[in-house]
Amino acid sequence: MQTIGLIFNGVWSHYAMATAPKYRDIYKLIYVYDLDDEAVAGLDALVVPFQSNQLELALRKDLIYDFLKQGKKVFVEGDSTADWLDAQWEDRPVNNYWWVENPDNPPVSETKYDHPIYQGLTPRQACWHTHGVYTRIPDHAEVIQANPQGEIISWQTHHYGGTLFATTLDPIVEHGVQQITHLDNYVDRLTEWLSGIKPTPGRMTIDQGVYGEGALI
Amino acid sequence: MLPVMINALLISNNIAGLDDYYVSNELVQYTVCRITKDFDPDLAPYDILVIPNGSDHVAMLKIKDKVRAFLDAGKALICSDGWFTDWVPGNQWVMDNARRTIDIRYHVKTDRYGLFDGVDLDELTFSHGMSGWWACGYIQVAEGADVVVEDTWQRPIIVLDEVSTNGLMLLTASGPLADVTFSGDREVALVRIYRNFLKRVQSKNNVVPMIAE
Repeated sequence: MQTIGLIFNGVWSHYAMATAPKYRDIYKLIYVYDLDDEAVAGLDALVVPFQSNQLELALRKDLIYDFLKQGKKVFVEGDSTADWLDAQWEDRPVNNYWWVENPDNPPVSETKYDHPIYQGLTPRQACWHTHGVYTRIPDHAEVIQANPQGEIISWQTHHYGGTLFATTLDPIVEHGVQQITHLDNYVDRLTEWLSGIKPTPGRMTIDQGVYGEGALI
Repeated sequence: MLPVMINALLISNNIAGLDDYYVSNELVQYTVCRITKDFDPDLAPYDILVIPNGSDHVAMLKIKDKVRAFLDAGKALICSDGWFTDWVPGNQWVMDNARRTIDIRYHVKTDRYGLFDGVDLDELTFSHGMSGWWACGYIQVAEGADVVVEDTWQRPIIVLDEVSTNGLMLLTASGPLADVTFSGDREVALVRIYRNFLKRVQSKNNVVPMIAE
């Protein structure tokens, strides 16, 4: 049963992840222009992936906070804007080769491993690279991950009724891209936290029948 | 006779930073079309349609027929992204994770217009010593189209198609192409291929002269 709404704006990596056999019975693709009360009815959680259309999200801000008010979960990855999130995201150069050139200095140095997403993950599974940092988060938020400079990578708050979790990691996009092979660990933990459903163990596969004329849109 | 500047329509998905990579210069004049719910751009005034990495392929499917007519009018398309919907005439990108990125090596196969002139192919293959960073999946190529670059397993990664329509298409298996020198980056392979293709478009007879303001 699809209980997680993945708000997407036609980007292929979002599509690849959400339509993979391992996840497609759990994640419901919601085209950002079709995001309305009817589209999110009955869902337990919403995911806003990296490379989202921030302008369109800001226009639908009330819907996202109404969803949270119902005690549900919203997961935001990558960039965001203060137009709809009470926080300030700032871009930084992406270092996705630290593990080759400087493996003892990962871009995340502090992680609260007691958070349900991170329980059982190794440090390498809990961080691959980051897309910027948060320089301001709400007073009521809790920091979950930080970089060696003390800047905020992941945070969450229960202030809006449900749980809002934001991170500058990009598990949905990178899992769709499939260039990092250990991301099943993070995304499976995330999926179970958001929906209560544990995806089938093992590596994500691709169904090429959903590309081209068979696209699930 | 001075070369004529290309008139390009850049389709933007409103992704942060995207516009920084597409700055008008002596070779190309960009007009940015931002996708909205009612996306239905007029393509007629332009010589080339630019579909960058991170594009909206649901929106592009809505204008599939318009893109086909644009190309049949002799115009050009560059799509450096993974088009999971079937809006590109004759060719289809598909995702594939059955091969290990560590084994990926690229090879130039058919390059009739010198798109790889001055290009170091290793810059597409490796980044900081890691292979497989640039493209994902592969292209199911139209019969008769040129496979410009293939990978270790002879999968089409860059395709040049002059047979599916009356126009010219350059397609990559999601590998980005752009002149990122205007945002401060180095003149690397993905810049030179992009420029070389624009020059090819420029040299075609059907480029519409721009009127200086």
